[in-house]
Amino acid sequence: MEYANILQDLLKRDEYLIVGKKVARTDALDKVLGRALFTADYVPKGTMVVKVVRSLQPHALIRKIDYKEALKIPGVIRVITASDIPGENQIGYALPDQPFLNDAKVHYVGDPLALVCASDEYSASEAVDAIKVEYNALPSHLTVDSALASDAIPIHDGGNIAVKTRIRKGDVAKGFKESTVEVEETYETPYQEHMYLETEAAYAIPEGSDKVTVIGTMQSPFLVREKVAKILGWSLSQVRIIQALTGGAFGKKDDMGPLVCAEAALAAVLVGKPAARIYDRDESVAYTPKRFPARFRYRSGADSEGKLKAIEVEITLECGAYANRSPFWLWRQTAHAAGPYYVPNAAIDGKAVYTNKVYGGSFRGFGDLAMQFAAESQMDRLAEKINIDPIEFRLKNILKTGLTTTCDQLLDHSVGIEECLRRVAEASNWSKYVPCKEGSRVRGLGVGCAYHGISTSRGTPDWSACSLILNQDGTFTYRTGICELGQGSPIGHAKIVSEIVGAPLDFIHVELPDTSSTPDAKPTHGSRGLMLGGTAAADAALKLRDNMLKVAAEMLECREDEVELKGGEAFERGTPSNKISFSELAEELYARGISPASYGFYASPKRYFDPETGLGVNYSVYTFAASVAEVEVDLETGETTVLKVWPAMDVGKAIDPLMIEGQIEGAVSQGIGFALMENLILEDGVVLNPFFKDYIIPSALDTPEIAKPILVEKPYKHSAFGAKGVGEPAIISIVPAIVNAIHNATGIRFNTLPITAERLYDAIRRSRQ
Amino acid sequence: MKPLPSFLIHRPRTVNEALKMLSELEKAKPIAGGTDLLPLLRDRVVEAKNLIDISLIPELRGIKEGRNEIRIGAATKIKDVEKSRIIFEKAPVLCDAASSIGSPQIRNLGTIGGNICNASPAADSAPSLLVLDAYAEVVSSKGSREIPVKEVFKGPKRNSLRPDELLISIKFPEPFDTSTMSFQKLGRRRGYTIAQVNVAVLLEFDGPVCCDAKISVGAAASTPIRIYEAEERLWNKRLTEEIIEDASTQCMRAVDPIDDVRASAEYRREMSHVLVRRCLMEAWNKARRLM
Ligand SMILES: Cc1cc2nc3c(=O)[nH]c(=O)nc-3n(C[C@H](O)[C@H](O)[C@H](O)COP(=O)(O)OP(=O)(O)OC[C@H]3O[C@@H](n4cnc5c(N)ncnc54)[C@H](O)[C@@H]3O)c2cc1C
Repeated sequence: MEYANILQDLLKRDEYLIVGKKVARTDALDKVLGRALFTADYVPKGTMVVKVVRSLQPHALIRKIDYKEALKIPGVIRVITASDIPGENQIGYALPDQPFLNDAKVHYVGDPLALVCASDEYSASEAVDAIKVEYNALPSHLTVDSALASDAIPIHDGGNIAVKTRIRKGDVAKGFKESTVEVEETYETPYQEHMYLETEAAYAIPEGSDKVTVIGTMQSPFLVREKVAKILGWSLSQVRIIQALTGGAFGKKDDMGPLVCAEAALAAVLVGKPAARIYDRDESVAYTPKRFPARFRYRSGADSEGKLKAIEVEITLECGAYANRSPFWLWRQTAHAAGPYYVPNAAIDGKAVYTNKVYGGSFRGFGDLAMQFAAESQMDRLAEKINIDPIEFRLKNILKTGLTTTCDQLLDHSVGIEECLRRVAEASNWSKYVPCKEGSRVRGLGVGCAYHGISTSRGTPDWSACSLILNQDGTFTYRTGICELGQGSPIGHAKIVSEIVGAPLDFIHVELPDTSSTPDAKPTHGSRGLMLGGTAAADAALKLRDNMLKVAAEMLECREDEVELKGGEAFERGTPSNKISFSELAEELYARGISPASYGFYASPKRYFDPETGLGVNYSVYTFAASVAEVEVDLETGETTVLKVWPAMDVGKAIDPLMIEGQIEGAVSQGIGFALMENLILEDGVVLNPFFKDYIIPSALDTPEIAKPILVEKPYKHSAFGAKGVGEPAIISIVPAIVNAIHNATGIRFNTLPITAERLYDAIRRSRQ
Repeated sequence: MKPLPSFLIHRPRTVNEALKMLSELEKAKPIAGGTDLLPLLRDRVVEAKNLIDISLIPELRGIKEGRNEIRIGAATKIKDVEKSRIIFEKAPVLCDAASSIGSPQIRNLGTIGGNICNASPAADSAPSLLVLDAYAEVVSSKGSREIPVKEVFKGPKRNSLRPDELLISIKFPEPFDTSTMSFQKLGRRRGYTIAQVNVAVLLEFDGPVCCDAKISVGAAASTPIRIYEAEERLWNKRLTEEIIEDASTQCMRAVDPIDDVRASAEYRREMSHVLVRRCLMEAWNKARRLM
């Protein structure tokens, strides 16, 4: 269904009522006033506390877990180990390599071994200390090179390579032969911690002997239900999961939702009492998934006209202790390796490698952030070698309608990267810019481009569902499994519904996702929440609208196509005084037995994919972004100040420009963190800086001026109003823009992040010697 | 992370009451804003059974201008130091230091006395107080004494006060109207940051000649330090960029920093050079504008 046009025809509006407008979020006031409820707010005082006993060794066989002494501590209720798990002791996401509680072996410092249930924090924490674990230490692998060595001890059965990917497009040897310039470099990107304000939390309430309800932080209630049921050995219908408003997620809560909820649920069910499991900050930072570290060996060639001819990329992804999302992460990097450019010949090989360190997981940008930092650095280097302007060089190779991606996917519409790039160049006055120096400070400008396939990769079927009920008083109850994480997707759905049924936004009540009543919308990840979920919302709204129009036409005694729904009223378009309120209309629907409810469902168009060559239609659509950044570097201290960022994004259609600006502003800050300061420090597998005090993220004062975001709208024909996802694409171009700007200012190019003041200072000093 | 250990909190109304509690109660410790103490208690670095909350004792709060002397009550909030007219006019170097501490929330809770008694080598108010030649008024139920603020610092997070002693106030001679000062801080980000290095300087001029110079560097040794050998190089000189550079280099030799998660020793050493030079240049430029 080509929604973009259909909706326009159907609604017969010169201008949309609410879609495309900046609207104050209906949930904003409660959040600002501190009235909104988050998971921990639901936990009554005196609830049983659950804590996790963790491995202190990076790699060892477990000889014995002795908790006799712990049970003697007053207040301690129970200690749960692997043998107590009634269902399957397995929580791995992509591969079954991750026991929920370990009893045979530990794989990193922090691996879970047991759960302590106690009446309060003090006795729980005392019990954790009292549990004695005996190990047989194994040599540990703390780098990918150590894990890949021929004599390496396997961390999991099957060796230290968790997964491999590859793409073969065209003829790379021929491509390099046709190239007149070549650049080959190795890039490395580090861990990044999400540092959301709300740590992982769950509150589980057992019901009778065979049911449990869990309220928690998550991004995918139905995945949580599946994992909790599996660990309990129960059917899906015995487990009810409710997603409370979630205080930041950035991907990690997709990984942590199942874990934290299962910890609470298992304790609650085995003890028979409600249980609360709330992570401490240091636990969240030291032991839960991070952005995967990666290394890229990247060779590119271009001809004398400035046309990219070939790329050869070798990706080594560090999984850490478990594979978790690494197959998908690695696949995304493999598929996006060229950046948003046309390249006829590509050979890309990836491998994800286990090490004995905290494992990687989902994080905004999902592989593309690191990959496109490398790709965009290559583009700048090639431009420099050919001696043409970096933007001009990019424009010669930029993806356009009619061209194919690295995976040979033909882009037939919704490709706005060229416009994004041209417009940020213009806005930042790129062509007139002269890098300048004042005292010890130098300034420079850099550009970054990005693209990001929306939702899941390759052939995985993708769909979303929701429900919409017109209540007797004319208000609506909307249910979606897409989660509110701060980003506002469900409000976007409500705007879509509001537009289609003609109700004011505050008539539409969005319920919290609850697996006992909410249709499965699939996860809130991959920037799919609005695009997929919102299109299901449109489907539900269109169906209900039909019923509303039918009854309204009869009540108003006019034709259906003369009925306008607007402002919570139905009226005759030619004679607006001939009108009825939605409450009257609703009553009539109920009275006549015409369904006042609808179920919305939307499935993405089918895709195909050849795992041998890595070619095919990998994503239903891509969001594109470009940014220019201006930085100032203090040559005496090495400090970088990002002065201004000019962002642009092809969003398909902006359902709410204000929310997109919010995403972009947050992304600028998070991108600055990754590029310049965030630095998880590990020693022998132990995280040394697990608190806000020393894991430095940008403060408000580090946030630069952000030019009004340029929103390019190249609608996607299969989504409601043409919208595409924006959460992840927002961050990807920021990092290379900053790194390229530092090069422009100082002449120094960094292949490794973060570019802390100290590292930049060292590099400046070296460059002078 | 462990939960905060339990403790009793006492709210004396007078200094005498507080002193009595300190000397009589088991494992007693003063608490002012608690912004340093609570994390230390949580991390089990410090142990206390009885916390004596001194933040409400009126005698300990406020900034007063006496005869050629400025007195800051120990429990005066950092925010009040930052916003004080007296400090702004007479000792702007302390005002700048105060405004660089933590976030508005921290400055609303934290106190100047706590900043000193906590004895972090990176305490941001310390270099400024050192160049102001500030001294600490310390009392116990047995008597009182006055020591230079520098001597409150004994080592990283160790102060020289006895457990039954309380810091009452910080006093310093009112600087001459012709004194010029500067404070500089380097951290891993712009706001809410612990110093990698912080520096304060104070210069006095007699006509075009620098007749007195004070330089203090923090976070670059086990306590904040004064660098007399660098100061001497400025005395009785008409300043030039070369002289300033020479003094700054001297500072780099005098500091004795450590490697930690915030910076390497080498970077701290190099940055103490840069920050001292910047402070001296700024103070000298201010003086030249006055001349
Ligand atoms: C997020 C955060 C950011 C911070 N940023 C900075 C920063 O940028 N720069 C900086 O310098 N500091 C910073 N700090 C540290 C702290 O806020 C300051 O040192 C503050 O001034 C401490 O004052 P307080 O009143 O809270 O001290 P408290 O925590 O109450 O006390 C600290 C110590 O001093 C003792 N003490 C307090 N008052 C007295 C007294 N009158 N007599 C005897 N002993 C006393 C206490 O027993 C305790 O040992 C930060 C702290 C936090 C939590």
